[in-house]
Amino acid sequence: MKLYTPRTNYDDLLTKKGYARRGASRIVRWLRSKSPDVMKRYRDAAELAVKEMGISFTVYSNGSNIDRSWPVDVIPRVISAAEWKRISRGLAQRSRALNKFIHDVYNRRRILAEDVVPPDLVLESPNYQKACFNVVPKFEAWAHICGTDLVRDQRGTFHVLEDNLRVPSGVSYMIENREIAKRTLPELFANQSILPVDDYCSNLFQMLVSLAPGDRRKPCVVVLTPGIFNSAYYEHAYLAQGMGVELVEAGDLFVTDDNEVFMHTVEKEQRVDVIYRRINDDFLDPEVFKKESVLGVPGLMRSWKAGKVALANAPGAGVADDKAIYAFVPAMIRYYLKEEPLLPNVKTYLCRNKPDLDYVLNNITKLVVKPVNESGGYGILVGPHSSASECSRFASLIEADPENYIAQPTLTLSTAPTLIDESIQPRHLDLRPFILKGKKTWVTSGGLTRVALREGSLVVNSSQGGGSKDTWIIEADS
Amino acid sequence: MLSRVAESVYWAARYLERVENVARLVRSYNHLIMDIPVGSEPSWSVLVDILEAKDQFYKIFRKETEKNVHSLLMGKEHASCSIPFSINQARENVRITRDVFPEEAWEHINELHLYTIGNRSAATSRRNRLLYLEEIIQTCRAFAGLMQSTASRDNTYGFYKLGQFIERADMTARIVNVGAGDVLDREGEFFAIDPLLWGALLQALSGRSAYRREIGPIVDKDSFIDFVFKSRNFPRSVFFCLNELRRYIGLLPGGDDTVNSVDRIRRRLRRFNSDRKSREGLNLFIDSLQSSLIMLDDDFRSCWFQRSMR
Repeated sequence: MKLYTPRTNYDDLLTKKGYARRGASRIVRWLRSKSPDVMKRYRDAAELAVKEMGISFTVYSNGSNIDRSWPVDVIPRVISAAEWKRISRGLAQRSRALNKFIHDVYNRRRILAEDVVPPDLVLESPNYQKACFNVVPKFEAWAHICGTDLVRDQRGTFHVLEDNLRVPSGVSYMIENREIAKRTLPELFANQSILPVDDYCSNLFQMLVSLAPGDRRKPCVVVLTPGIFNSAYYEHAYLAQGMGVELVEAGDLFVTDDNEVFMHTVEKEQRVDVIYRRINDDFLDPEVFKKESVLGVPGLMRSWKAGKVALANAPGAGVADDKAIYAFVPAMIRYYLKEEPLLPNVKTYLCRNKPDLDYVLNNITKLVVKPVNESGGYGILVGPHSSASECSRFASLIEADPENYIAQPTLTLSTAPTLIDESIQPRHLDLRPFILKGKKTWVTSGGLTRVALREGSLVVNSSQGGGSKDTWIIEADS
Repeated sequence: MLSRVAESVYWAARYLERVENVARLVRSYNHLIMDIPVGSEPSWSVLVDILEAKDQFYKIFRKETEKNVHSLLMGKEHASCSIPFSINQARENVRITRDVFPEEAWEHINELHLYTIGNRSAATSRRNRLLYLEEIIQTCRAFAGLMQSTASRDNTYGFYKLGQFIERADMTARIVNVGAGDVLDREGEFFAIDPLLWGALLQALSGRSAYRREIGPIVDKDSFIDFVFKSRNFPRSVFFCLNELRRYIGLLPGGDDTVNSVDRIRRRLRRFNSDRKSREGLNLFIDSLQSSLIMLDDDFRSCWFQRSMR
């Protein structure tokens, strides 16, 4: 196959001159030696593996569920182990600081009192849950499972794009992608050491067990799902099965008057000690949050506050993943840990500050503008890709409500060789590693790499035509 | 095991058993009609009656023709009496409990679903119709075989068996009830074809050769009813189903009360004597048998599936 020479941006496999990067030489050599026909066979094999393994994600439309096959590109993305070591230290550092921050704002509020983070930014955020005030979860850990989105800039430096602290998903696909790669490319696994990823479920389980209240022996851990209509249901079932625990829905659980949580089984009620919940805060407990929620369990918050059950992630953890708080994470790291941040943020302009606002309004065509409290890519303006009228519409939105907007420079994301039809072309990538925080902090080896399959596109979401790649952390170059 | 999961397994089994039974019933009725001289064949509406689907039928169709009856039962996935409806229900139940079934179970049931979607129009011609029914029956049997040979004998298997046997008992009772009612209606009038009708009903239960060996070659009303109600050896007789239910309940946790309910039905069945029954008497007995099966289903629910606070 013919490879390209990446000119305008950083490429994960190829240097500017078109040579293989460190760690990628075997893959690049392998790619060059294959004909389009052979590559097509590899792709078919991967697609077949996906079908046979039944890996799907759910799209809900027209009143019924459609299971779509998970899109995987056969060419893996490579990161050298030395680089990954630095990154994972940076991720662990970030998770420690974020957890200290969440604990602080729900308890002593030191960081607000000292005005390192503006108090109104936190206390008036819709993600700040008053119900969590004065709660002390075990190990003072709140964001037990964090999915952090990373992107490389033009020079190849990894930046944190956002921290997902509520119910981040994608980890099951990271594990399945490796399984597919092993089935399709067994020859590439010979003679090089690629760090394994299938230890996630056991690490997740250990972390969850460590959260059990008091000294309960053999605690009962469950995964709480909103149900079959949720787009990540496949993952909920996957994780429950991977840990060997029950996958429960709200109707399976109830809370007694003395605040214990039980589940209905065919034998007798069984006490539940730890809940890995995949339901958003708002729907978690109709006694406290949205009253009309049928996805939640009445009394769950009572039980959690009384220390009778552990919830992962803890309610209220979302206070630290809004886009304005994001800008203060480096400051948090310095404040709580007395360390310099190992992973840089993307430069962020807070429109609530007058100088930033002026800069944003004057340079809107160069920037990406995001509303503070939306997630999933809604309501975003990508200046360079938008019309003049779109930009001026956004400018007036920002002026009307500056508190609600932030802006960032438009990044040139890195690319990697991707099989498109019969040829290999550069496509943009991001990376979502997962960080577990219980008694200890643990980071996945690599993460889920998502790739925008349309030429030039920066949108990597699987529901919008994005694909994925297996991510190889390679120990040493051979 | 979670109550919700147990209930889904139970219903997946019930719906699958229903699919096979309905397919089998329609197939043998088609065979029967081909055996009977033109002019004296019984009405196609018998099928709709057995499934208690008169209301559903007249919501969609006006006349009980061969074509309409079959397109209801084979093509209308929103009608609860139809084969595709039951397949969908079974599929939805397996989908949310995939992890407790053997690995291939989901694939199997998914294929069944895809097959019915691809063959909606098979109902119209007799030839395609029979091929369709054959395929459905075979796949259901393959699923049962898969469970038999690969499912581990845990609570999941127990609830699967409960669903299978309660549904089977109910279907057998239905076939005797409306089928026998229809035949009795015509007694005298269709004397010559009478044995054919009994034979067809027996075939709907796959019981011809078992009957021959246990009773003899001649099929008449009383021994037919005795056989399909009370045989200890024939796996589709009501008595056999009750014995199996009793056995599997015994393997599940805390089912003492439900064992008593099953025993009550068994006692009544043992006392039942078909030659001393008039037609009304028979119908009344079957009705009460069916309602006691419904009560048994309620017992299962309150014993294992209930999820309100106890």
